[in-house]
Amino acid sequence: MPCPFAKLEEVYQTQHGAVYQCSNQNCYWLDFAGDKTAFRVADFLHFKKKVDSIDVASLIIDSSRHADYTILMPFRSERCFALTLNDLLNLRELLDGARFMIELNSVIKSCLKSTPSRA
Amino acid sequence: MKDLLRLKTSLNEEIEKLLNDQIKVEAHSSAIYLAMSSWCDNQGYDFSAGYFEKQSGEERKHMLKLFKYINDRGGKAISPEIFNIPADFESFRSVFEQALEQEMYVTQQFNNIADQCFKQKDFVTFQFIQWFLQEQIEEEYVARRILEMFDVIGEEGTGRWEIDKHIPKVSYSAE
Ligand SMILES: [Fe+2]
Ligand SMILES: [Fe+2]
Repeated sequence: MPCPFAKLEEVYQTQHGAVYQCSNQNCYWLDFAGDKTAFRVADFLHFKKKVDSIDVASLIIDSSRHADYTILMPFRSERCFALTLNDLLNLRELLDGARFMIELNSVIKSCLKSTPSRA
Repeated sequence: MKDLLRLKTSLNEEIEKLLNDQIKVEAHSSAIYLAMSSWCDNQGYDFSAGYFEKQSGEERKHMLKLFKYINDRGGKAISPEIFNIPADFESFRSVFEQALEQEMYVTQQFNNIADQCFKQKDFVTFQFIQWFLQEQIEEEYVARRILEMFDVIGEEGTGRWEIDKHIPKVSYSAE
């Protein structure tokens, strides 16, 4: 659970979940499927890559029962994600949006820094 | 919102991926040259075997140079998987033809990275890969010169023996 000092800012939100940034602990919180999980920056980016690398097309074609769920257990977290195809697509959408906002924030920050102050 | 991303890494995601891909290419070169070394040794081309063994070591060093750079910049270097390494080659000459093709491919990859560095305005990485671009001039030169020996000396009679003997002497000087 978030530390008492956590200063959570929303990074991105969809109907199915949200990603928050804790600027106190320098981590991201993923709120998805009724539970919150903290990720360090590198772990969060890696988790997104992992989710993106899942071959959705082959899961659709595969009729065996193990293809109904995708299990993800990110290192350094207590969380185990058991995702249906639907969950997977929702999670992807959420992470895509969050990744974009993180990058955008970074670009804006560097633009602001490189603009000489006119004060 | 605090910029956590740049606190972690100064490398843009695409540039990091390109550099990791290049790690794979260098590792692949290293493995191919080792295969060539073994083949040459097997066929009795002692000097060529030694030459390729040395080349293989150089390619590994190139790989580690990229590896270190990615990690130094806060990215994550990935230890590459290597597969599809041939164990047999058509002929003595074809080994060197393949070596030249491999070097030309590597040059092309670095050109591509340089192009991306400009597009992303990552001049730090551009500066870093200068060394590799320079290195490729030598690599291609040596590979071409060796191939020319097949025509200049000729493969008939003791020709291949003669060519093999001359391999370690081929060198490049920018002066
Ligand atoms: Fe190389
Ligand atoms: Fe090379």
